[in-house]
Amino acid sequence: MDIIDLSWWQLGIGFFILIIPAWILWRYKTGLNKKLGIATVRMTLQLLFVGYYLEYLFELDNAWLNAAWIMVMVLVADFATIDRSELNRQRSLVIPIFLATFFGIIVIDMFFLEAVIQLPTFLSAQYTIPITGMVLGNCLRSNVIGINAFYHSLNEHKERYRFYLCCGATRNEAVFPFFRDALKKSANPTLASMATIGLVSLPGMMTGQILSGSSPLIAIKYQIMIMLAIFSGTVLSVYLGIRLSNYFVFDEHDVLDSSILKK
Amino acid sequence: MKSDTLFKLSDIRFSYDSEQLFDGLNLLINQREKVVIKGESGSGKTTLFRLLLGFETPDKGSISFKGSVYTDTIIRTMRKEVVWLPQDLNLGTGKTAELMDFIFEFQSNSQNKPSRPEIIDTLEALGLEAGTLASNFSELSTGQRQRIGLACCLLLNRKVILLDEPTSALDLESKRKVAELLLNNDRTVISTSHDPWWVEKCDRVIELNNIS
Repeated sequence: MDIIDLSWWQLGIGFFILIIPAWILWRYKTGLNKKLGIATVRMTLQLLFVGYYLEYLFELDNAWLNAAWIMVMVLVADFATIDRSELNRQRSLVIPIFLATFFGIIVIDMFFLEAVIQLPTFLSAQYTIPITGMVLGNCLRSNVIGINAFYHSLNEHKERYRFYLCCGATRNEAVFPFFRDALKKSANPTLASMATIGLVSLPGMMTGQILSGSSPLIAIKYQIMIMLAIFSGTVLSVYLGIRLSNYFVFDEHDVLDSSILKK
Repeated sequence: MKSDTLFKLSDIRFSYDSEQLFDGLNLLINQREKVVIKGESGSGKTTLFRLLLGFETPDKGSISFKGSVYTDTIIRTMRKEVVWLPQDLNLGTGKTAELMDFIFEFQSNSQNKPSRPEIIDTLEALGLEAGTLASNFSELSTGQRQRIGLACCLLLNRKVILLDEPTSALDLESKRKVAELLLNNDRTVISTSHDPWWVEKCDRVIELNNIS
């Protein structure tokens, strides 16, 4: 069964549904309607750009070009992670978090695309771009939760961290409880969605595949694989993000450089 | 002859948030002394501890530990010989026993990890019941938390203890026990305090306003 293509005017009609949430937000004076307008315009323009760009990318299907696109996505995710974690864009954070996200994505892509799916063409755009995008989107969300929790909690409870140092802890030992809590906070949302998937929600990738005519059995196999990829990718990137940035954000006396935190 | 000086601060200048706290601060603390630092709120008592512990670096002047001027290595060595207890210790959430065990599991403490009976004896000496170990740390009173922190300091068996307002949440009976355990031995105890009872028990009083 082929998918029903949406015409532009049909998509345009879809926007009318926003009248309902916009009215509710206006009625309760939330002040969110301006944000809603900006977010809607941004979403539409970004997806239009990506749609046209991906058409071009799929047509060329060049591994180098696909890798370059992944780098761009990782770079945008890097800055977004730092901004949303309420941290300052400093070299001590930008480089380690970029490397952590990039390495996390590469490990997951190589494992699932090349070892599990065994793509006939290396980094084939049809598989690489959507799967990387899904994993990266989730890595971004988890990195924001984990990295924000780690550094802000460490700053808020610096007396506890310093107490551990004065009890003989190395820096890695002293940050251990903060690291553990950050990992727990960042992994919990994905674990919760894994536990309820299929019962409470039908995930986007599976829905997309079913809509485009795949059998539900093929769709669930891909969905299970993507959930494994998302969970592994998010934990790996949060772990690497904190581990790598910790090499640069403490001074030689193990004091956290508080200038990384937004006031 | 080996010097008896433990900490030496020479001509320290230090500003915090553009406010000058110390200018020309000189201070000697000898081994085995029981020193109490007094001073009004904002006079820099806590900052002085931070400087001693290497968490702040002076704008000018030098700090030395056992005759060696602070370097990264000396600060790390000093932190293995010294233990510091903040005024309001927060070890996070979890059973008190687990949170205490975490401290004794640091690699540098692995040689002298206390046994459970030793931990219980120390808690009892400080007027806490053994059952406190099974309680959630966050549910303990400020005074209980303070004594748990003191128990950690004692069990780590360090020769130098820095205490921030050690008796601020203790009743007289508990204070007596703490003084008995901390002050009647050859440890060096450096404390900050507003408590006249504690001040009287110490060998030397340093009025921070005068030195700075």
